[in-house]
Amino acid sequence: MNSTFASPQMYRARRHLAPWFFNGAMLVICFFVLIPVLATILTSLKDQTDVQRNPPVVFPCDTPDGQFNLSACRWSVEGYTRILEPRPNPNALLGFEYVGRMVSVYLPNTLIYAVSASVLVTVLAGMSGYVFSRYRFRARRALMVGLLAITGIPLLTNLIALYRIGVVLRQTFPGYEERLYVIIVYVGFFLPFSIWVVKSFFDTIPRELEEASFIDGCTPVSSLIRIVAPLAAPGLTSAFLMAFVGIWNEFIAGYLLVGKATLRTAMFGLYDFIGQFVIGYQVLAAGCIMVAMPVIVMFLFFRKTFFRAMVEGALKG
Amino acid sequence: MAAPAGTAPSATPASAVSRHRIEQGFFSRTLPFWLLLPTLLVLLAIQVVPGLFSFFLSTQTFERGEQMFVGLRNFERVFSSSAFNASLFHTLFFLIGYVTLTLIAAFVIAQILNRKLRLSPFYITVIFVPWVLSDVVVGLIFRLFIVPDYGLFSSFFANPGIFPPKGISILTTPAAPPLVSGVPFPPAPALIYLIFASAWKALPFITLLILAALQTVSREVIESAAIDGADGWRTVRHITFPLILPTLIVALFNLTLNGVNGVGLVFSLTGGGPGTATEVLSYLLYTIGFGRLDFGRAAALSVFMAIINLTLILLTLRISRSEREA
Repeated sequence: MNSTFASPQMYRARRHLAPWFFNGAMLVICFFVLIPVLATILTSLKDQTDVQRNPPVVFPCDTPDGQFNLSACRWSVEGYTRILEPRPNPNALLGFEYVGRMVSVYLPNTLIYAVSASVLVTVLAGMSGYVFSRYRFRARRALMVGLLAITGIPLLTNLIALYRIGVVLRQTFPGYEERLYVIIVYVGFFLPFSIWVVKSFFDTIPRELEEASFIDGCTPVSSLIRIVAPLAAPGLTSAFLMAFVGIWNEFIAGYLLVGKATLRTAMFGLYDFIGQFVIGYQVLAAGCIMVAMPVIVMFLFFRKTFFRAMVEGALKG
Repeated sequence: MAAPAGTAPSATPASAVSRHRIEQGFFSRTLPFWLLLPTLLVLLAIQVVPGLFSFFLSTQTFERGEQMFVGLRNFERVFSSSAFNASLFHTLFFLIGYVTLTLIAAFVIAQILNRKLRLSPFYITVIFVPWVLSDVVVGLIFRLFIVPDYGLFSSFFANPGIFPPKGISILTTPAAPPLVSGVPFPPAPALIYLIFASAWKALPFITLLILAALQTVSREVIESAAIDGADGWRTVRHITFPLILPTLIVALFNLTLNGVNGVGLVFSLTGGGPGTATEVLSYLLYTIGFGRLDFGRAAALSVFMAIINLTLILLTLRISRSEREA
């Protein structure tokens, strides 16, 4: 099908009908791509009896005699309330608080890890990306090849060692802070890719601007902060966003390196649900939606930045 | 920006000059070093040292609480185990299915998107949603489809008319008896399902890569090929395909790397099961290392995987560099 429509002759011959054909094809493709997401949203809005029906129903809208009827829909937010677990608390702002582990423990942890690690990644990638883009020195090539080689070490290879190092650190230092360790590990994991993205952004900023600022009396440091950084803001933003989404979604490192239950991540929480809610599929689905929603919204707002960073990072890195 | 220029003349000339010289001399000469230093330290601590430490661990054994040097015995024991043999084949079958399926689907979708339909940005955004989801979420979503009895697709798979002789249940039906002993082929339904879930997740990124490459192919080249009498398939094969080949190779290696290393989806979708039917190399590494706490053998396996990865990356570099020079 594809080969036929790639032909310009055919294309020209069918020019008047081509657009609706391709739009139709894309709409079908989009629908199929979205089926898993839509099905999960529907499941998250069913109640316990409707997720446990055999044969299963897509919409919980059938009447007892098997007819589809919109007014018979039994939508329910039970899945969400079982995750949030609201409890009355006179001291809380709204008179109640959410005590579900996902909202009171796991999601805040993930937010802390993701924000602090991606800020660090952005700052470090900005500094070293600038150096790789602007300076020519003897070790430059070696360092850049090294950066690529590092991306070749599988995550699990490092994690075996990092796990053992973590055990040793915990025994040696009484003030060992697990959160700090996880954050630094995340910085190390996401730094190489971010450096490539940021460097390619710096490459597009003309050097003349900096040279002009030197003539105006700027030192290299003040020129970096006042001239280059604002111009590189889009690049730095994309490095931040990519790292944020990556860390938010990261599972295995958080799972292996965090020992304390109160410091676990949202992805661990979801994974833990599989065993906990063996039959409460609406709870699992609601958990998926809640954990995925922040990054989906983020993506919808900044999609162009994401696209650019991805193509840059993949083709140059 | 204006401040240094404005204050410099008001300071005493001598001190200003010497301060300037110090800054220009010492600072600007060593500035790159200071800017790089934190990055180098972090990468050393989180990537280089642990990588080497894993290499070291692969030569150690931890039996009876004692750490001992055993040379290459961990490698021998891993490579000779039947679990390694099986998971190597699982990984291979997974990769073949995953890479082929994703590349073909992405190529077709990218071709359509490249027609610059007015709604293309909307389509790209919609198609990209799976990319933002984490492996664990994707695994769970696809698991919900096939949970026995209650999953939306489970009755489809359980239908004996479609899947003879008595229907299948993805999470529990084991692989058919192997055609050749020692080679787990045909794979279990769960492995094939895993391929579809992984391809769904990888599709957006690969589509975007191919689309970016397609947009660099000029319309004139395609049209002149058509004037020379090339039909659609020939144009794709002899014009489009060679022109975007470097990107296709980057996509291929990217998929292979992710396929070899990805483990989150196996965790949440099948947990390696049924039995060991979806135990790919990375999951085997996890079970040896963190399930049985046999760090020596896990490290040996991880060194093996690191070698696969580095080879793939070097090949990608080689190919993309030779393309750039050509």
